[in-house]
Amino acid sequence: MGYMRDGNGGGGGGREGRSSGGGGGRPSGPRAGGRRRFLFRRRKYCKFCEDKARWIDYKDLRTLQNYIPERAKVLPRRISGTCASHQRQLMQAIKRARNLALIPFTSD
Amino acid sequence: MVRTYETVFITLPTLTDEEDRGVVDGLSTIVSDGGGVFTANDRMGRRRLAYPIRKFEDGVYTRFLYDSEPTVPKELDRRLRINDKVIRHMTVCLEPDWAVAAKEQAVRDAQARADAEAARAAGVLIEAAEPAPARGRDDDDGEFDERD
Repeated sequence: MGYMRDGNGGGGGGREGRSSGGGGGRPSGPRAGGRRRFLFRRRKYCKFCEDKARWIDYKDLRTLQNYIPERAKVLPRRISGTCASHQRQLMQAIKRARNLALIPFTSD
Repeated sequence: MVRTYETVFITLPTLTDEEDRGVVDGLSTIVSDGGGVFTANDRMGRRRLAYPIRKFEDGVYTRFLYDSEPTVPKELDRRLRINDKVIRHMTVCLEPDWAVAAKEQAVRDAQARADAEAARAAGVLIEAAEPAPARGRDDDDGEFDERD
């Protein structure tokens, strides 16, 4: 898999990681003590939300390249941590860039 | 209603500089005749295409950023379709708040380019004997090659 980039793609399914983040996460219910292994996983966040006013430009290949792994598919939200609205904007930017042959639709 | 549009089109890589300039000038007059106001009219340069279009592997990208009535992009689109020197084109209508940012950026870019040009001209004046090192044409680093 080409998706594991941030070093946070451990063995056991991405879903576990969210409830374990210590402060700020949602309450993890009865199993308070367990899951030490995931304690130090870096929290995912939307990299576009840091600068809210920014438009995701379809010509800005430096940015788009981070979201298209080697098969040139779009990196899913569960991996990148992008928020829903920015993922939609990103999708649109990628589709526009593909139409202008800046980004491949697929790589062989 | 006046809105901001951005049109990017790709012209044939086989055209000479003058031919290419002729195509771009012809299209930019459509915008100005229709009452459009240019913010940017850049040649983004020659670039390797991500996939072949009409069996061409390269293309010359040009970008127009302009404010106009919606009739202008419509006419421009019609002409771009007819023109067989243009292999691909796309027009995007920018949201008002993004349009402001895009225009500011375009102005900054133009300024930076002018400064670079001036610096290079000054450099040429100083060391006229030494030619500037030529950049590789197809260094595919995800950025547009500068070309003038």
